[in-house]
Amino acid sequence: MHPPENKLTEDSQIQQMPNPKLVSVLLGQHIGAVCSSMVQKKDKVQFGQQIGQAEGFVSAPVHSPVDGVVRDIALQSHPVLGREMAVIIDVDAESSIKPLPNGQFTADFDETAFSDKQIRDAVRQAGIVGMGGAGFPTQVKLEPNPQTPKEVLIINGCECEPFITGDYRMMMEWTYQVIAGIKLACRGAGCPTVRIGIEENKPEAIARMAELLKQCSGAGNMEVVPLKTKYPQGGERQLIKAVWGKQVPTGGIPPMIGVVVLNVATCAAIADAVVNNAPLTHRVVTVTGGAIANPGNYYVPIGTSVQDLIDHCGGLTENAAKVVMGGPMMGLAIADLSTPITKASGAITFLTEETITKAKYERRQTACIRCGRCLTVCPEHLNATRIAHAVKSDLLDVAQNYHMTACIECGCCSYICPANIELTGYIKTGKILLARAKKRMPK
Amino acid sequence: MILASILELLPAGLTMLSLGTVFAIILLIASIKLKVVVDEKVEQVHEALPNIDCGACGFAGCASYAKAVVADPELLGKCAPGGPETSEAVARILNLQVSGGGVELRPIVHCRSHTVDRTYYATYAGIETCTAANAQANVQACKFGCLGYGDCTSACKFDALHIVDGLATVDYEKCTGCTACSKVCPRFLIEMVPFGHENMMTVACSSKENGRSTRSMCKTGCIGCGLCTKKTELFTLANNLARLDYEGYQPSEETQAAIDKCPTGVIVFRGKSAPTPRPAG
Repeated sequence: MHPPENKLTEDSQIQQMPNPKLVSVLLGQHIGAVCSSMVQKKDKVQFGQQIGQAEGFVSAPVHSPVDGVVRDIALQSHPVLGREMAVIIDVDAESSIKPLPNGQFTADFDETAFSDKQIRDAVRQAGIVGMGGAGFPTQVKLEPNPQTPKEVLIINGCECEPFITGDYRMMMEWTYQVIAGIKLACRGAGCPTVRIGIEENKPEAIARMAELLKQCSGAGNMEVVPLKTKYPQGGERQLIKAVWGKQVPTGGIPPMIGVVVLNVATCAAIADAVVNNAPLTHRVVTVTGGAIANPGNYYVPIGTSVQDLIDHCGGLTENAAKVVMGGPMMGLAIADLSTPITKASGAITFLTEETITKAKYERRQTACIRCGRCLTVCPEHLNATRIAHAVKSDLLDVAQNYHMTACIECGCCSYICPANIELTGYIKTGKILLARAKKRMPK
Repeated sequence: MILASILELLPAGLTMLSLGTVFAIILLIASIKLKVVVDEKVEQVHEALPNIDCGACGFAGCASYAKAVVADPELLGKCAPGGPETSEAVARILNLQVSGGGVELRPIVHCRSHTVDRTYYATYAGIETCTAANAQANVQACKFGCLGYGDCTSACKFDALHIVDGLATVDYEKCTGCTACSKVCPRFLIEMVPFGHENMMTVACSSKENGRSTRSMCKTGCIGCGLCTKKTELFTLANNLARLDYEGYQPSEETQAAIDKCPTGVIVFRGKSAPTPRPAG
């Protein structure tokens, strides 16, 4: 499937976002256990200070992106979980601002100066999580597994979601830092080979990455793989199939077949963390869509509210109708503009009434006409209609017979459906119901 | 002529007769050999049950509960819709004594906020079930309040739960205490409470937000001020939320004072003849 790309911001350079007056650093920004707060009300915090303690193996600490004073530790709107505990910090007027990368990394960056253990520890302490959207703690991915040795590290530079351009700009502007991060990740995970998957609609990024890789020392095992432009090419399972030719088993995860997938932005953060000891406090966010005055790519302190970003980008246009954290296909609509940016939010898309109507958002759902388009677009070869009907009729076992839990929630079926049936929504609902039913089941 | 045609039919007739005899014998043997012994008690218990297959007892339906209760007398009294009469009937069949009986459980929805009392940031345009809406962050400002899409209404087999102005409201006349609603609520608002009196007092809120946030989100949420806990020890405060000790509850002047003092009017009566609470806010 190939939805309109709408890459409005592909030529706008990554710009610094000044510190807002208030940041709310959520304590649960990743998949896994929510952090516990390490600071109290009225404590002074400094830039880069750890404020949230990781709880358990699959978790990641959080750090303050600014100098300031803790105003409160309270529930705050969260793009995924609704409300979650956050450390709310009043930012000092003279707070230090994290500068954009300044060309520190060059072609002859030597990753062998760091041991693999050192790299993994630095990644864990910096609280790095998958920055492509899911937010899975990165050090868990890098951890060696004696049973299935890692064969390949795949770097996800697809950016197949419409509108988003942050990864593309990073590959263009911060190329050496990204490559340094890839080298470090490769060493940290102990992968013999690296493949960088980039969609063909970004020929300049492919050319630039390939050219600079040639100049880099010790990059002989790395190769750029141009991929067909389609959605969801950057889905983990789809990417592995396209780049490495292997299929991740249904219900399985990439490490089972010895593959690690990291996003471009995550690699840039790894380089910063290992070499500069810098925790993950800022990220590139694509502010885009037809309903924002000045769309662009911004380097934003994590914890900045969406409202502050809107103000910085010149405000919303009159016909603004919907705010989506992430891209339009997989992103989550947010209702509260005080929702802060998290480590995993790579974009904020402001959609106008017109685009929403175009994307069939009138919600005039009609009966399924059995056209079968959802079957042709499903990247996991599922039968979305059957699953959705089963969920509607409360037949979870039937839905599970159609492999409901194998759905990656890419949204292709909902997008293509001429009857406007919210297939992905029903499948998501079904997954929630199934998880709850399993919890209730006697052991 | 007639005789000839009878003779012609004779072989066929004889074949049928002998076949019939053979099958009759097989069936006779089978009926003796493969006889299923049905415990009469199970059948009697099954008849005594309400036969609505609601699943409140935790079994697939009345038939499986009947089987289970005959095998294990400990399970007596699990039939909520049947109530004490059914338990006694079952006990008579099994020659058991009904122990205690206990107080009947009835659901209480721990939210009293109607659509007009709540803060909304945006319009929700997704699938109209509570489970789907709950997966959307900030579908309404309060993370804890009733969503009002009626998952509980569809779960209720007794037409005892309705969405009234965006709030799930129990019809205690019809409710049998089968617990189905309390199992489907994605926000876990519906709790089965021992109804020691016809009307129970409750703090109809689940918000664990601090007072200021709760006030900004809802006209009638519990702000955790603790005034009720000062009136009577039956109320306790935890996580910015007051809670009534339902088991120890006795109507008294103190509890009435707690209702009167509550600044947001979130302490209300629920039950068959519950008085109309004062307006929200």
